Amino acid sequence: MSAPSLAPYILKRPWLAKWFQPLANWYCNAAGYRQLGLKADDLIPEENDTVQLALKRLPPKEAYDRVFRLRRAFQCSVSHQLLPKAEWIKPEEDTPYLSVVIKEIEAEMKEREDLESMIVQKRNQNAKGH
Amino acid sequence: MFSRTTACRGAQRAARQQAVRPAQRRGLAAPASGSFQYQSGEANGVKFASRDFAGPTTTLALVSKAGTRYQPLPGLTEGVMNYAFRSTDRRSTLRIIRESELLGAELNPYHTRENLVLETKFLRDDLPYFVELLAEVASSTKYSPHVYHEEVLPLIHFAHKRFLANPLDMAINSAHSLAFHRGLGTPTASASTTPYTKYLEPSTIEWFSKVAYAKPNFAIVANGAEHSDLSKWVNEFFDDVPATAPENTAGTEQTKYYGGEERIAHDSANAMVIAFPGSSSFTGKFYKPEIAVLGSLLGGQSSIKWSSGFSLLGNAKASPGTKVKTTSAIYSDAGLLYTTITGAAENVAKTAYTTVEILKKIAGGDIAKEDIAKAKANAKFKELEYGQDVKAGLLLTGDGLVSNSQAYQIDEVAKAIDGVTDEAVKSAAKSLLENKASVSAVGDLFALPYAEDLGLKV
Repeated sequence: MSAPSLAPYILKRPWLAKWFQPLANWYCNAAGYRQLGLKADDLIPEENDTVQLALKRLPPKEAYDRVFRLRRAFQCSVSHQLLPKAEWIKPEEDTPYLSVVIKEIEAEMKEREDLESMIVQKRNQNAKGH
Repeated sequence: MFSRTTACRGAQRAARQQAVRPAQRRGLAAPASGSFQYQSGEANGVKFASRDFAGPTTTLALVSKAGTRYQPLPGLTEGVMNYAFRSTDRRSTLRIIRESELLGAELNPYHTRENLVLETKFLRDDLPYFVELLAEVASSTKYSPHVYHEEVLPLIHFAHKRFLANPLDMAINSAHSLAFHRGLGTPTASASTTPYTKYLEPSTIEWFSKVAYAKPNFAIVANGAEHSDLSKWVNEFFDDVPATAPENTAGTEQTKYYGGEERIAHDSANAMVIAFPGSSSFTGKFYKPEIAVLGSLLGGQSSIKWSSGFSLLGNAKASPGTKVKTTSAIYSDAGLLYTTITGAAENVAKTAYTTVEILKKIAGGDIAKEDIAKAKANAKFKELEYGQDVKAGLLLTGDGLVSNSQAYQIDEVAKAIDGVTDEAVKSAAKSLLENKASVSAVGDLFALPYAEDLGLKV
């Protein structure tokens, strides 16, 4: 589900991150999802098994909040309005809550695939005896 | 003087043997130890015991004092058991499973009334890997909520279903709870869904795991491992395990016998359990070898094919299709001698009457000397065979180490049984009838008798 991204590359270099920070802030604001009361993780397409499983694994409170945010955003969208400014999601509230779980699940699946395609070799000490 | 070549060849051979089979120094020609004795020790605050059976495989177990008896909330033992060998801080569930499969090993966590056992079986050379694995399970299992919902809870639910479908299991558990109420009487699987829907949560399971895997509460027992090796690896890997347990007083008080009667209606089959206070394990304080002999004497199951056997109940049961078995269940500080009867309702009822009659006969001394001699031999054989059985040996030894800091020495148990007199068996039977019994009937309640009808005190 995760698309290729330059973000880790940039974040690793503080000087580069400092350059890009204003641009990133502008972009997030221009994207407009915070004005609808959404977090970035609410925008992840959920029509696949990985994200469905991740959604199942969310703690009840987070799952409830997510549905609340989505419905509120939907209402706003239907009525062609933005939320009052006080209710916008602030940048510090815009934390990843779902992508962490998704990464875990992807790591699990990758591990499974790695183990599945593993080539078994005899241990050296045992191989010597034969 | 011997020639140089001979001396060299001998040295070479010795060196080669050392290199190739360091773990099996005891060859075929050397006398194998005929003893069941476990060598016990302590490393890094962890109690461990081992016996070095010559053979290519090892059975290693972590025996923890965390059976259903010690759980402060229902279902916790099952929770901890089902979390065993799942994701830890270092490895995922899948990796643990695949690695063990590659090493050709078996992982088997199970629990009894008093103990939680994580058992592993593997090839001798892999000892360090599995000691490390057990240490990892004990110290760094992740008790994540999603694992609980996706993997642990379904297993607990299956255990509950299986329990409900088995009248004999229900009867035995019911007899235990009549006899001991809380503590030892706690059922090993839940009879309703309430325990795990109401009380069980990953965080409480994690808390109980801290109790189960604290150094004073578990022991490592190995069968087929060298004592020095085991000592070394235990010393190396068990650093991160908590040294003290959070306080848990559930089940620690001396077990008291109550007795009583319970009748449960069940559609699928009939089971009746008639139970009496029994003997504690050999390492406990209330060890009575005559109970084991009495159990064999009552018996019910033949050890010889095409014969009903010598046991009194085996001969007296109402029909060949009726299954009767007498078990002397031993726990660290109490025991239960119980006869289970299963089969058609009428036959179960008849056999239950017979059981009490026979007990009265034994108490009255109306019993052949020969039968007692047979029962003694049978009890001794069973005990020794049980000791030879790796699984039981591990469990008893671990339990002995944790509960009474003494390993279970099977040779001495056999000696104790040898010393039982006819008088002791008779007086044991008499005291059983004078005390309150625990009687549990599951199945067709119209046909199954009440304890009062059988002539027992409840």
